[in-house]
Amino acid sequence: MMTASLLNNLLAPLAMLAPGSSGSDEPASAHLAHMTEHVGTGPKWILLIVFLPLLGFVFNAIYAASGNKSKLPAWTTIALLAVAFLATLSMFLSYDGTPYTVHAFDWFNLHYGEKSFVANFSFYIDKLTILWMLFVTGLATLIALYASEYMSHDIGTGYCRFFSAFGLFVFSMSCLVMGDNMLMLYLGWEGVGLCSYLLIGYFYKKPSAVAAAKKAFIVNRIGDLGLALGIYLTFVHFGTVEYAALFSNETLHHYIDAAVAGDFSAIPSEAQWIAMLLMVGAFGKSAQFPLYVWLPDAMEGPTPVSALIHAATMVTAGVYLIARFYPLFLVSENALPIVAWIGTITALLAATIGMAQFDIKRIMAYSTVSQLGYMFAGLGLLSTTGAAFHVLTHAFFKALLFLACGAVMHGFAGQLDLRKLSGVSWMKGWGIVGITMLIGCMNLAGLPYITSGFYSKDMILAEAFVTPGYRLMGWVLVFTAIMTAYYTFRVFFRVFLGDQHAEPGEDFHGDDTNDFHPHAPGWAINTVLITLAACSMLAIALAWIDKSAYHGWVGSMVADSTASFHSPYAVSLAAAHGEGNPAAVAGPVGYGAPGKVLGMDPHGGMIVVSGLGAIFGVLVAAFFHGPKGWQGLFLGGRTQADKCRMDAIAKRAGPIPRWAENKWFVDEFYAMVFVTPLRVVSHIFHWIDKLLLDGLVNLFGFLPRVLAWIIRPSQSGVLQGYAVSMAGGLAVLLLVVIVIVLRAGGAA
Amino acid sequence: MTEKLAILWPEIFLFIATCLVMITGQWPSRAIRQFTPWICAVALFAAFFAALISPTTSGMFPAIVPYAKMLIAGVGMLILLLLSGTVDRELEAEVDAGKPFSSLRSNRGEFYAFFMFSLTGLMLTASADDLIWLFLALELTSLPTYIMVAISTERKKSLEAAVKYFFLGALGAAIFLYGFALIYGATGSTNLSEIATVFATDGVSTLGMIGLLIAIIGISFKIAAVPMHFYTPDVYQGAASPVAAMLAFVPKTAGFLALMFILGTAGWNDGFAGSGGHLPVAIEATLWIMAALTMTVGNVLALLQTSIKRILAYSSIAHSGYMLVGLIAGPGIIGGPFYQNGLAAVLFYLLTYGVMTVGVFAVLASLEHRNGDEADDMDDIRGLCKSHPVLGWTLVICTFSMLGFPPLIGFLGKVGLFTSGMAAGQYALIVILGINSAIAACYYLRMIAAAYIDDPGKISSPVFLAPFPMRRVAGVLSAFCVLFLLVFAQPLVNGAYHAAKYVPAAADEIEEPYADDQIIQKTQEEIALID
Repeated sequence: MMTASLLNNLLAPLAMLAPGSSGSDEPASAHLAHMTEHVGTGPKWILLIVFLPLLGFVFNAIYAASGNKSKLPAWTTIALLAVAFLATLSMFLSYDGTPYTVHAFDWFNLHYGEKSFVANFSFYIDKLTILWMLFVTGLATLIALYASEYMSHDIGTGYCRFFSAFGLFVFSMSCLVMGDNMLMLYLGWEGVGLCSYLLIGYFYKKPSAVAAAKKAFIVNRIGDLGLALGIYLTFVHFGTVEYAALFSNETLHHYIDAAVAGDFSAIPSEAQWIAMLLMVGAFGKSAQFPLYVWLPDAMEGPTPVSALIHAATMVTAGVYLIARFYPLFLVSENALPIVAWIGTITALLAATIGMAQFDIKRIMAYSTVSQLGYMFAGLGLLSTTGAAFHVLTHAFFKALLFLACGAVMHGFAGQLDLRKLSGVSWMKGWGIVGITMLIGCMNLAGLPYITSGFYSKDMILAEAFVTPGYRLMGWVLVFTAIMTAYYTFRVFFRVFLGDQHAEPGEDFHGDDTNDFHPHAPGWAINTVLITLAACSMLAIALAWIDKSAYHGWVGSMVADSTASFHSPYAVSLAAAHGEGNPAAVAGPVGYGAPGKVLGMDPHGGMIVVSGLGAIFGVLVAAFFHGPKGWQGLFLGGRTQADKCRMDAIAKRAGPIPRWAENKWFVDEFYAMVFVTPLRVVSHIFHWIDKLLLDGLVNLFGFLPRVLAWIIRPSQSGVLQGYAVSMAGGLAVLLLVVIVIVLRAGGAA
Repeated sequence: MTEKLAILWPEIFLFIATCLVMITGQWPSRAIRQFTPWICAVALFAAFFAALISPTTSGMFPAIVPYAKMLIAGVGMLILLLLSGTVDRELEAEVDAGKPFSSLRSNRGEFYAFFMFSLTGLMLTASADDLIWLFLALELTSLPTYIMVAISTERKKSLEAAVKYFFLGALGAAIFLYGFALIYGATGSTNLSEIATVFATDGVSTLGMIGLLIAIIGISFKIAAVPMHFYTPDVYQGAASPVAAMLAFVPKTAGFLALMFILGTAGWNDGFAGSGGHLPVAIEATLWIMAALTMTVGNVLALLQTSIKRILAYSSIAHSGYMLVGLIAGPGIIGGPFYQNGLAAVLFYLLTYGVMTVGVFAVLASLEHRNGDEADDMDDIRGLCKSHPVLGWTLVICTFSMLGFPPLIGFLGKVGLFTSGMAAGQYALIVILGINSAIAACYYLRMIAAAYIDDPGKISSPVFLAPFPMRRVAGVLSAFCVLFLLVFAQPLVNGAYHAAKYVPAAADEIEEPYADDQIIQKTQEEIALID
């Protein structure tokens, strides 16, 4: 494989670097070994984080059963999640740097001979867990608050159903992230999949929602098969699925040392396949090419669900999976390069589709797919910190964007078409939505210096440019970033700026069926939007605090976990930046100067390249979609909601915009290549089953009936007949037995 | 004698109640008449707790008494609930209308007295250690049921069923009494332990073997096994549903206990060391044929029925066939685990069968046509889950359990039979058991589908709730047990396992000197070995 040589290329400098990295002869696996050597036992209150959301699920089920018709389900859920968030916060504050486990109860605890299979209901806490749980519980609380208002038209059973699935989701996500073994992860993985299915299909009377829910579930099955096989192979090869035992496994350490030395032939292919299988699971859950098709359709669910599950938390489970099992990915020759390239392809492909959509929620969905592609690229480029940072910033600003779009959808009776809305910011009561939307858009577009989205994306882009052989990937990602800025601000310029114009959608609720007037969001929605906007902006600080480790606070969180791995380039970059890292200072000169971008150091280069790119994208969007006057930055010329300069270009560009709008016909392609043949085969099997097998089964089913018809006359109902049959039966039976005994005796 | 008395307290309580209910049932005051079943209930409770503290006995099955009697008292209480309102319905209606109470026309006293007599007989069967005792106990179990069938409804069909049941029952009793006589002739003793010792010492003589075979086949009347099964559908259909439920449990339990004792005399020792042993070839062949035929005939004939009671009658036959597998498998290695112990499996299965069959009969007993006829036809239960959800679900749950659907207790019971059969190496019989379970699914699922899937639709004569809430209570309790005994399955399984403790008779201590020809034979064998 072509990429194989690339990973060698990727890791080779490390072989030179490793011995000097901390001034001693420690092998590369030493950090991992040191970290998982002493896994302590944690306090039991940690269990609150997991079980409080489950309690919410139980309460809401009770409310549903008792026919509750108030906002009680929402307040219960919010309160429980808030306590869970506070517990997470205190878990973070009380963490002393040593990973620990918390045991809830024995789940699987089998011992046979020398071997054992242990997968208890226990939780493994290290900094990666804490990082993930902080934003999972925090965002869940905020979004539950948002949903309390957003879902208020469904008060009653629907409201209870929504919040019980919400609670179950947070419980499952906690199991996924906090589980101390792969089986717990799998439990959570399937649990979040189930909740995703339930919530996408929340409007179960709408055929498109049901179809979307099924699509999400079925596409995820493909990925989940990979994950299940990966877990199985891990158990077969390493004899355990528990994190503490797995990561302190000496065999694994030897593999890592061999991989760092570039000697992949020393690692059995079985061990290398684990990562390839786990990767498939990650692609499914995190909507990567070619399994991304379910995520855009998942927007059929209520918007809070899109924000929490399909933007901020569940879809990052794939990133978590790879980060958590990074040691397993390092020992696989092909896995990480594939992850990087799949991520890049996904980022580009989804961005092109996102540019041509008219449904603002779908644009956000494709942008989620695209941004997830960036995270995977970061993982593949050995920058787990970059990926984790991008997960974090993306969680904030994408949730914000979705919730702002949701507010629009809520206020304009389900209207999502950007051609039918204009100047929303200027409408009465919509100012906060407009401002927070602008902040979200700036973050997604990655405007330099002033947005957290810029810093997290920069980490990944810079890594691509300095890694030998990956410069092309860097340019692809920069190009994608320009497109991202374009389609993001396309939405903003058209929907939120310009002359006021609004056509209502079709989802009337309440009494405004005949007399539509947009209703501005209430305090709950506004509070959540402001909080998220503030978080998005404050996340910039994370890049600057805790500079002792690389790349700020997130870097320090990742560094103290199993995802800890620093690419040799990052090390050298740190040196270039003068960051106080001993490794960088001690770095051997022979390993070469850090890569340069346009003659500058990569991060500086990125400010120029991707920063200017983002501004360029915004200006293009302003030119084509911006309204006339200052709102269009004096570039735009749009005066009507549904007409803009892009229309003329799109007409001239031939069929390409239409293809992009139709998502490059990927769904149709899948239907033709996979679905239709499978359906044909299933029909063939159906007929074989119906004609041949059913025939056989019916034949065998018929035999007892024939037998019954034969012996039925014996039940004549005549007393004498019965008596004779009894006596005769006795005689015949005795006779048969005598024959049997004689034969047995004769044989003996 | 005092040792015997110590285990007879349950029977004594039941007998006291029998005497009382004969009087209270005829009392002119309505309140006291209606108190009759409560006396039975109190007696059954007392018997249950007396059984709980019963001491172990000496004999082949030293620990069987507590489990068996608790089982009888427990399922007996369910049946007692179900029996409510069976007799004297018209009479009480007339009393309501102002006519004076006539004790001559009242059946209440007899009915409950006979029920208690039958249960007393059943418990006495469990206490039996002697052939005479066993015979009397078996007949005390059966004789009252003949009359209960006759008076259970006002219809002629009940009388016809009772007559058939009585004559055929008498024939069956004659057959096994003949077998008992031959056993006595062969061994010179009626005491089961002594008979076992004789068999262990001298081997089973031909006369003894014929006696055993005839006794086994005769007792199989009680469990409704081929070739003594013919009466079952006619009698079940003729009797009122509550009485039919009683017939499905009480004589069957008596029969299986008696069969265990009779088989115990011959013992499961005739096999290879360590394999748990086999019955003597002739007995095993007899039981094997009976088991295979019983389950097949029962299940196959049930396929064609539309009468639920006849289906249940045939299913009762089939279940006897399943349990015979456990008897063939025997106790396994002494001290072996539950899943190898066929006798424990049978004892546990009796419990599960009793509970689930009472549940289904309770549903039938709770429904009636406008003219007072009981529900019986498949059409009567169509759409039951929609029209009467509680009864419908009771029927569905209990029927699923009878089908052996995991994880209901019917499944647990069947697992024991399967595993013990496997452990005993009866693979062919296990295959037949498996096939029969599949055939049985056909008619059980038809019942479930009728109740759950079908719509009530337009039926010429719709069914209504019978005015006896206690019957519904019996049904719901049964369904509850079927679902939730799972949680307590382990103590129950342990109980059955301890009850099935089997002490094989040791050969007589006084060794008789070898007869000359035996010595010669033995020497020749030794020479052959040396060669």
